[in-house]
Amino acid sequence: MMRPVDEKESFAMEVETIVDSSVSSVKRYPPEMPHNGPLSSVAYSWILWRILKRLSKSIKVVIFGTKINILLPFGPLSIVLHFLTENHGLVFFFSLIGITPLAERLGYATEQLAAYTGQTVGGLLNATFGNATEMIIAMYALKNGMIRVVQQSLLGSILSNMLLVLGCAFFAGGVVHSKKDQIFNKAAAVVNSGLLLMAVMGLMFPAVLHFTHSEVQYGKSEVALSRFSSCVMLIAYASYLVFQLKSHRNLYHPIEDEEGLNEADLDEDEPPELSQWEAISWLAILTLWISILSEYLVDAIEGASDALNLPMAFISVILLPIVGNAAEHASAIMFAMKNKLDITLGVAIGSSTQISMFVIPFSVVVGWLMRQQMDLNFQLFETATLFITVLVVAFMLQDGTANYFKGLMLILCYFIVAASFYFHTDPEKDD
Amino acid sequence: MGPNEKTDLELPEDTIVGSPLATRKTHTFDHIGSFATVAQYTPGRTRNRILMSIYIVLIKAKINVLLPFGPLAIMLHYLTGKHGWVFFFSLIGIIPLAERLGYATEQLASYTGPTVGGLLNATFGNATEMIISIYALNNGMIRVVQQSLLGSILSNMLLVLGCAFFTGGIVHCNKDQVFNKAAAVVNSGLLLMAVMGLMFPAVLHFTHSELHYGRSELALSRFSSCIMLVAYAGYLFFQLKSQHELYKPIGEEEVANENDSDDEDAPEITQWEAISWLAVLTVWVSILSGYLVDAIQGASESMNMPVAFISVILLPIVGNAAEHASAIMFAMKDKLDITLGVAIGSSTQISMFVIPFCVVVGWIMGRQMDLNFQLFETATLFITVLVVAFMLQEGTANYFKGLMLILCYLIVAASFFVHIDPVASD
Repeated sequence: MMRPVDEKESFAMEVETIVDSSVSSVKRYPPEMPHNGPLSSVAYSWILWRILKRLSKSIKVVIFGTKINILLPFGPLSIVLHFLTENHGLVFFFSLIGITPLAERLGYATEQLAAYTGQTVGGLLNATFGNATEMIIAMYALKNGMIRVVQQSLLGSILSNMLLVLGCAFFAGGVVHSKKDQIFNKAAAVVNSGLLLMAVMGLMFPAVLHFTHSEVQYGKSEVALSRFSSCVMLIAYASYLVFQLKSHRNLYHPIEDEEGLNEADLDEDEPPELSQWEAISWLAILTLWISILSEYLVDAIEGASDALNLPMAFISVILLPIVGNAAEHASAIMFAMKNKLDITLGVAIGSSTQISMFVIPFSVVVGWLMRQQMDLNFQLFETATLFITVLVVAFMLQDGTANYFKGLMLILCYFIVAASFYFHTDPEKDD
Repeated sequence: MGPNEKTDLELPEDTIVGSPLATRKTHTFDHIGSFATVAQYTPGRTRNRILMSIYIVLIKAKINVLLPFGPLAIMLHYLTGKHGWVFFFSLIGIIPLAERLGYATEQLASYTGPTVGGLLNATFGNATEMIISIYALNNGMIRVVQQSLLGSILSNMLLVLGCAFFTGGIVHCNKDQVFNKAAAVVNSGLLLMAVMGLMFPAVLHFTHSELHYGRSELALSRFSSCIMLVAYAGYLFFQLKSQHELYKPIGEEEVANENDSDDEDAPEITQWEAISWLAVLTVWVSILSGYLVDAIQGASESMNMPVAFISVILLPIVGNAAEHASAIMFAMKDKLDITLGVAIGSSTQISMFVIPFCVVVGWIMGRQMDLNFQLFETATLFITVLVVAFMLQEGTANYFKGLMLILCYLIVAASFFVHIDPVASD
């Protein structure tokens, strides 16, 4: 018959199309589409069969496409454990492991969608959904009133991006390219460092005000200050997006200019694998799935802390983000080994900037709406940790070169930070 | 250099070695190795060899005029109760020993090649500070250890570097001097990492946010010290391996003469002599350090100065006197890379090797040495590292940068003059 051959042809042509939204998103219907009455049931079943075929292909690409998805069953498994046993430690770990592939697929779906929407909206998409996992976990914790978990998990995400991810990438890239130092675009790194320092400033003032007991209204001033500072930081982040995507885009060209034109395509397969609507639907589905798992994750944190005999601080700051960032971690290392350090920096430092200048203030504003007392006072120890870390990283990045020793230094710094949080607990409230 | 050396040798003809030996030296000075092998086979020549070695090491350098202060300090310790005098005399007596120790290390390094030589310098470069610290640790004077090591870092980064930049800048006042930025940046990164390692135990303790009050920071310090030692080992590996690529000095044409000019072209003592002198001088420094450390408390009372000031300012100025002089000399010769290697390299070595090493030694000795240097000292180190890292980051130096660093050191010294540990209320 004509139709199967036609279909195979049309599928093949869709897969091979270069980015051209109007062409690839249109399904190729054969010209002789029946629409008279007696044949409409046949038509509908045929359409249904085509939709199912499309769906199964989509599922095959998204769910069975990568090896990381063998971790997918851990998600439902943790939900089962939550209802069957009281073992919070296992529930915590399993939901953590179950979120990892979902986060990675979310990033994949975002990139697929970005291929259709062009660079500007694509950049915005990345900027918003890039840390969707952290945002969702933070929202759930906020809803439960676990303000310290929100603060510490976001802080831990920044620290892990700046030290662990960047350190591993520099180290791996430096070992592979051990003949000479790798170089990257200094200007972008400097702008990001400036934003990170601004975030530190935004976090430092409420903390120091509270700590020196020098605020006008004890306990209330810093919340008001935090909310105001959060709005300012969101404005700064919005302008940063404009700066990055529109006006100073030439600032962000990678060093190897000859490959500049292929840069954006090289980290994707040449044609997008999903259609535009598929990408949007998958984004929605994955976000929903992550939300469900996050709820069980957040509920299990305190029990896990008791069961595993680890301080809550350590779980929030170190364990949660390592898993949340696992996919970014892998891609950053891969790009460093391919000598594309600008992409690595975009992943690692860009993610830190995003969390510090967008997700944290956004959480404060959401907390304001939810009437939770979420503020920017991360307590002195956490604020000091962020401060020294931003300084160390800003210093390492300022000369625009990378080698394995810088990577090793960053990784060892992360070990010191992790060890400090292993011994850290919030002081008893005596004020 | 040859004729100068001959003139040098001919001058002190009335020394303990008779003139026949002096003339023998002028003939064979360039063939030390063969002379030494010949000398091994007759006792007379061995005695002469030893005497000549003593002459070269202990008498030739002018700094050795301070040597008698050492035994004098020991005498004063037993004869009088004047801790102030004992302290000062032993301090002055250690200066020449530290300088000779550096000299012996360089002599040995010229035999062993650049790699092991670099390692030797990295280990023995701050042998004096290490010995003083181990003695203080043995006596349980943990604060003295912490403050003297901190003071050594501060004096290297501010005073030594500042004086070097200042004198170099005045001598070469037509243009800014340049140095290799990459090395300075790596060292600054390591210093920041050390600040990190010191900051966490201090802030944890200070905010009362540790798990087990007083014990958590000790465990954290010990873990961080191991990490810092790993980082220092990685730094040595990185520095020695990429020595050819990254660390080329700015004046590349002079590289060939670089290493020789500070060894005076040929090593003056044989390999075994260098090793023996290293051992002898180390023992001598240890003995004097013992009396020095014992006298600190009494000196603080009799001179009416806080122990903090003595540990942070006085001890290190003397311990670094030799490095101080050589750094200034190299800056005046426009060899700023060596100056930086001496000053900042020494700071890096102390912060990333000697301090964690003392924590580990304290761990083995059963002492409660940790990385919590108390908030004031930690803050001082933090701001100092920031200032210096900022000054070094563009790779140029002039007399004004030097002046700024020296004045910063004066401010730091004044702060410690009025600093005392609060009475332990917790």
